[in-house]
Amino acid sequence: MTNETELIEQLKRGDETAFKAIVEQWQDMVYNTILGIVQNETEAEDLAQDVFIKVFEKISSFKGDSKFSTWLYRIATTTALDHLRSKKRKKRSGFLQGLGGGSDEKEEIPDFHHPGVSLDNKERAAVLFKAIEALPENQKAAYTLHKLEGLSYRDVSEVLNTTVSAVESLMSRANQNLRKQLEEYYNRHYR
Amino acid sequence: MDSKEKIQQEIEQTLQSLENVKRAEANPFLFTRIKARMDKKANGWEWVLSFVSRPAIAIAILLLVMAVNGWALWGSGSDETITTDNGGISELANEYNNVASVNNYDYENLTNE
Repeated sequence: MTNETELIEQLKRGDETAFKAIVEQWQDMVYNTILGIVQNETEAEDLAQDVFIKVFEKISSFKGDSKFSTWLYRIATTTALDHLRSKKRKKRSGFLQGLGGGSDEKEEIPDFHHPGVSLDNKERAAVLFKAIEALPENQKAAYTLHKLEGLSYRDVSEVLNTTVSAVESLMSRANQNLRKQLEEYYNRHYR
Repeated sequence: MDSKEKIQQEIEQTLQSLENVKRAEANPFLFTRIKARMDKKANGWEWVLSFVSRPAIAIAILLLVMAVNGWALWGSGSDETITTDNGGISELANEYNNVASVNNYDYENLTNE
């Protein structure tokens, strides 16, 4: 029995030490995945907590058919996307409420800086993250898992519960969309 | 180099800006915070509040209150009668006097009465 399997079995019995070990072993992976999707450090930390609480509560449903990390990535991705969806809904209802007062739409400036990006790439990466933010959610999830977590297309397909060719297609469309958005961005900023 | 080529170059460089990105590190006190939240959740109140504040539940409760109010108004409006039964009032006064005469603070002697 591997250390990982042993920890999972202990967690199923409600062992707090095992839970602590699991959190410490996977917290950066979960946090980085969520951060890439929600692009906000405070929200990412809260959501990472949510993910581990879900792990503690739902560990009995983990049958070991997939890798534990795949299961964890799946919970993290779903939690982050659900959060974005609810944020979007609130934003929309806020917009509807604000229609009476008149709203002035201003261009959003790239403001998210991922802590893992080197200093010389900081500004460019912020522009790229702004473009990633506008991607449809499944493209965003695939792109984040592949680029930020370094998962292969096969691993991404297991997390997103789809086929490798579907991931290839998602990544190709994500790249096309990003190119289009970056072209618009640089066209605006070169004139 | 014309501006179109320059823009294409910018796009390529921007798309590559996440190459060799390092993994962001979580707060080292993440487990302590998770534990604190789980302990708080365990006392149940947070669950009750979060359940009641769910939009679907809150709307259902609001509709129920409105329905009960509507039914009360509708029902009482149709057969409203004003009773002027003086006998009822005097009965109430007698009863009140009886209750008021009991020394409520004398718990220890209640059994001796």
